[in-house]
Amino acid sequence: MVDLTQYLPILIFLVIAVGLSSAFVFLPMGVARLTGAHKPEPAKLTEYECGFPAFEDARSQFDVRFYLVAILFIIFDLEAAFLFPWAVSLEEIGWAGWATMMIFLAELTLGLVYAWKKGALDWE
Amino acid sequence: MTETFISWGMDPNWAWGVATICGILLIALPLMLAVAMIIYADRKIWAAIALRRGPNVVGPFGLLQSFADGLKVFLQETIIPTSANRGLFLIAPIITFTVALLAWAVIPFNSGAVLADINVGLLYILAISSLGVYGVILSGWASNSKYPFFSAMRASAQMISYEVSIGFILIGIVLYADSFNMNEIVKAQIGHGFGLVNAFGFNLLLFPLAVMFLISSLAETARAPFDLTEAESELVAGYQTEYSSMSFALFWLGEYANVLLMCTLNAVLFWGGWLPPLNIDLIPWFDIPGVIWLFAKILFFFFVFSWVKATVPRYRYDQLMRLGWKVFLPISLIWIFLISGWLMLTRYAA
Amino acid sequence: MIQLIAFYLFATIVIASAAMVIFARNPVHSVMWLILAFFNAAGLMLLAGAEFIAMLLVIVYVGAVAVLFLFVVMMLDIDFAELRAGFVRYLPLGALVAIILAAELVFAVGAWSAGGVDLAARAAPVVTDKSNIQQIGELLYTKYIFLFEAAGIVLLVAMIGAIVLTHRQRGGVRTQNISAQNRRRPEDATRLVDPGVGQGMEL
Repeated sequence: MVDLTQYLPILIFLVIAVGLSSAFVFLPMGVARLTGAHKPEPAKLTEYECGFPAFEDARSQFDVRFYLVAILFIIFDLEAAFLFPWAVSLEEIGWAGWATMMIFLAELTLGLVYAWKKGALDWE
Repeated sequence: MTETFISWGMDPNWAWGVATICGILLIALPLMLAVAMIIYADRKIWAAIALRRGPNVVGPFGLLQSFADGLKVFLQETIIPTSANRGLFLIAPIITFTVALLAWAVIPFNSGAVLADINVGLLYILAISSLGVYGVILSGWASNSKYPFFSAMRASAQMISYEVSIGFILIGIVLYADSFNMNEIVKAQIGHGFGLVNAFGFNLLLFPLAVMFLISSLAETARAPFDLTEAESELVAGYQTEYSSMSFALFWLGEYANVLLMCTLNAVLFWGGWLPPLNIDLIPWFDIPGVIWLFAKILFFFFVFSWVKATVPRYRYDQLMRLGWKVFLPISLIWIFLISGWLMLTRYAA
Repeated sequence: MIQLIAFYLFATIVIASAAMVIFARNPVHSVMWLILAFFNAAGLMLLAGAEFIAMLLVIVYVGAVAVLFLFVVMMLDIDFAELRAGFVRYLPLGALVAIILAAELVFAVGAWSAGGVDLAARAAPVVTDKSNIQQIGELLYTKYIFLFEAAGIVLLVAMIGAIVLTHRQRGGVRTQNISAQNRRRPEDATRLVDPGVGQGMEL
């Protein structure tokens, strides 16, 4: 059974938390204008660099390994997602259910071993 | 709390609403106060370990240091770089702080004292903490500056790597507690070790998981020795380099709120939450309110966090990734096998 | 009442943000709208009573898949103005696909209300006091073992495929061999000699 009344506080909390943090971001902007602290100038508004104008666009292409980490993360996250219902229904599903999950884990461990041997988990 | 308001002659629906909002404020406001004090405590602990004095000017013993800092940043100018994407640049700290607050909705402070007593509390925490990565990526990308961008990439890869092992570690807990409800998880720890101790952590099978979870929580919150995201010699100030004023402070607040959350999770999931450590009534353990026990445990873990930060040198990025993917992930997989096998042989043997 | 308001709120935001995914000029903004859409879809799932699915939607789609999307759109250095230019050219093809999809939707709804095909006697879910994670667990690992294991194999193939496609062995890098470092003892590396006065030392 799902008790939806338990989720309503979360929704209210979400509204309050967003309101609170927006207030924290936008109030000082108003306050700074009132107190006169708000004095933008071109040099102040440039992005951080070590004393010279930036040579190139900051958004450069980066190493493909970041994608690989993200993909491996998705796969293991899904594996964990399959483990969640299993962990709370172990009593009902018995040894058969346990063995099923062990086969599933073995499949994924095979993948992990492959990734390991291929060096996909290495950062040099 | 709802009953109190009803007894004051309020309509039940209104009473519920007012009680909920009071509950939310009772979590959010003390949390912010706690974050301010914990930043002060953090600085004092490092100072003590480094034989320095730490903040000692503002207020007695420097207790008001964080509030002075807060007031200072509040009055500062918010600088938005011209090359930044304004919208996302301002949304990033909002996301970070909102997410840091929101996870507290399912933390049980005492038996039944929880804002949202949902069946899938632990999954909710996983879901909310997986959102934290957006604050980081967006701030790095929207700044449109080199160092924040590098830092954001590093930070996000680090966070998602350790989320994997945290997910698997938590399955061990769920197997033992047989529930995702945070209150049930705490209750499952009553008299766990031969009816004597109230903690999963004293179980020999679960103790390694507790250690791995503690280390993973250091990595997940990017605390030292895993604070590569703000390795100042390489990356200036990490993904918050371009931020100023209160939006900068929100990252700090969010970070420390997350540190507190991780300390709380360590306490709740492995060390009995609001339960006294022993299940024997020699001293009137159970007469001390559960909140006190929980806070004591949280403070203990926070001390461990500070202690580690003050003493352990920073990891290298390849070592960090190796620890996550090649050590914690295989070990937690093996532990799922061990724990579930053990439970099948003992608890569900019939 | 609140449920009704929440439903229309979530549903409106899902549709609006889905539209914004397509209309946003900046692809990173598109992904952000997509995340908002996922989030509200999770809210809808919650209203339908599927709390486990709702949490999974956030954990897997928002927490993992959208991160990958964000990585991809942030890094690919595409000239997006050029991509937009193709909009008119592909309009007929896009319109055709849209019409086919719309027709299929109408067809499916029609078939559903006609009630011709009895899909294994659809039964209403039995209401029990168990949480729906447990209910899923009791079915998934007993009745649907083969689908479950097939999912495992799909994940395995996905992992291998991802590694084959993206992993490049880099030449000329010196990696740390941690086990070799840990095995190394002082005797292997140092030597204690006691040279006499005026005598040199061989290294």
